[in-house]
Amino acid sequence: MPGIDECLLEAMRLPGARGAALVDWTSGLALGTVGESPGGDPETMAAEAAELARMAVEHRAFAPEDDDEPAHGFGDGSGDGFGGGATGGPLEQQQDPPVEDLIISNRDSYHVLRFVATSFDSSVFLHLWLARADGNLALARIRLGEMAGRLVLG
Amino acid sequence: MTTLRTDLTTPPPRLPVRDRAAARQRAWGGVSPMLGRLATERATGVLVRERGSLYLADGEVVHAESPAVPGLDVLLTARGTLDAAGWRDAVGAAGERSRVGRFLVESGRIGAGALEVCHLGALYDAAYFALSPSGAPGHFTYGDRHWLGPVRPVPVAAVEHETLRRRALLHRIWPDPAPDSAPLLLSGSPAAPTVTARQHAVLALVNGVRTAADIALALARPAFHTLVDVRRLAAAGVIAPKAPPPPAVTAPPPPSASSVSSAPPAPPGTLPPSFADPNITLLKRLRDALEAL
Repeated sequence: MPGIDECLLEAMRLPGARGAALVDWTSGLALGTVGESPGGDPETMAAEAAELARMAVEHRAFAPEDDDEPAHGFGDGSGDGFGGGATGGPLEQQQDPPVEDLIISNRDSYHVLRFVATSFDSSVFLHLWLARADGNLALARIRLGEMAGRLVLG
Repeated sequence: MTTLRTDLTTPPPRLPVRDRAAARQRAWGGVSPMLGRLATERATGVLVRERGSLYLADGEVVHAESPAVPGLDVLLTARGTLDAAGWRDAVGAAGERSRVGRFLVESGRIGAGALEVCHLGALYDAAYFALSPSGAPGHFTYGDRHWLGPVRPVPVAAVEHETLRRRALLHRIWPDPAPDSAPLLLSGSPAAPTVTARQHAVLALVNGVRTAADIALALARPAFHTLVDVRRLAAAGVIAPKAPPPPAVTAPPPPSASSVSSAPPAPPGTLPPSFADPNITLLKRLRDALEAL
């Protein structure tokens, strides 16, 4: 079970990887970064990627059709045994994010944003920046999904 | 500040002018002057401030706590990541050696990544409140270590920088800090905009009594993350801070020459009672919308 840095370093071993980060999409904070960032500014990169990620998880249009109504969706703790007291009853399990990943492509690179499902309340995603000439988008997407699972196992 | 040019033969003495650049530097260059010094000297110990504590080890932040935020134990046990007994066992077994974090991972109760993600979230969350502006100076106790032990130490500069960034982020969403600490009310706005799933969870707990901190604790969600949703909902007019109860009627204080200037300045964002018109929220939203154009 790797830590954040091991996970990001593993992502950097993918062909064409230029930079990787673990970002919180509510605050825009990068919890960890390795490699390069576009424009050499990891903070701006994290904040802008976080904004995009937030839009994707918050808009119903991008959620699977069989997802529950918003009131029972991602990160929601308003279960039934819960309306009464401020600390009454255990919370529901954190549900999986409605979106698995986001892929952005431009002339010279790909960005893959992979949401990380955790058993505690969180709002984090892995962000991988790939050079388009060497990157393998399909491989990166699969590996990033595996890494997101391993990162928070246990 | 305007300078008047007159033809007096003896110019009046220059009025003292605040050095704005220096004032800004003081206000934004650092959140706690003591912290920078402690980082430089690679200090170990705990900085106790009005709204929370920061634990340093070798000049890096290893943990933060604040009564305003759900602690790591709440975040990890509320949804069953750890069971309460497992947490207590770990604290009992490794607390004295200040290695609870490592013990949790080594005993297989939680993955290293999960603990790091949750702990970093809790650390920055508590630091945001611990480093909020306060009237009283903080004090540092050398040598104190937190029983959790290091999980993923963070440079002091990163914590300070993130705290300031978070203040600016909240201010951009909705410039009035009143909903951060007051009991929250549903404003019954008929034209509720799209409310996200995470905001629904917050709204379900708004009852005119709970504050944002109460809701964060009930949801076992970092308090800053709750504030982001609370300010968004306030900006959208869905919730509003409950007005503080009117002060008890007492005899008016005897008038004095300094009574005007000695009135405490209203905290930013609040309005004198004579302006507390219900439409003020609408006007503020209009102003913000116009400014955003």
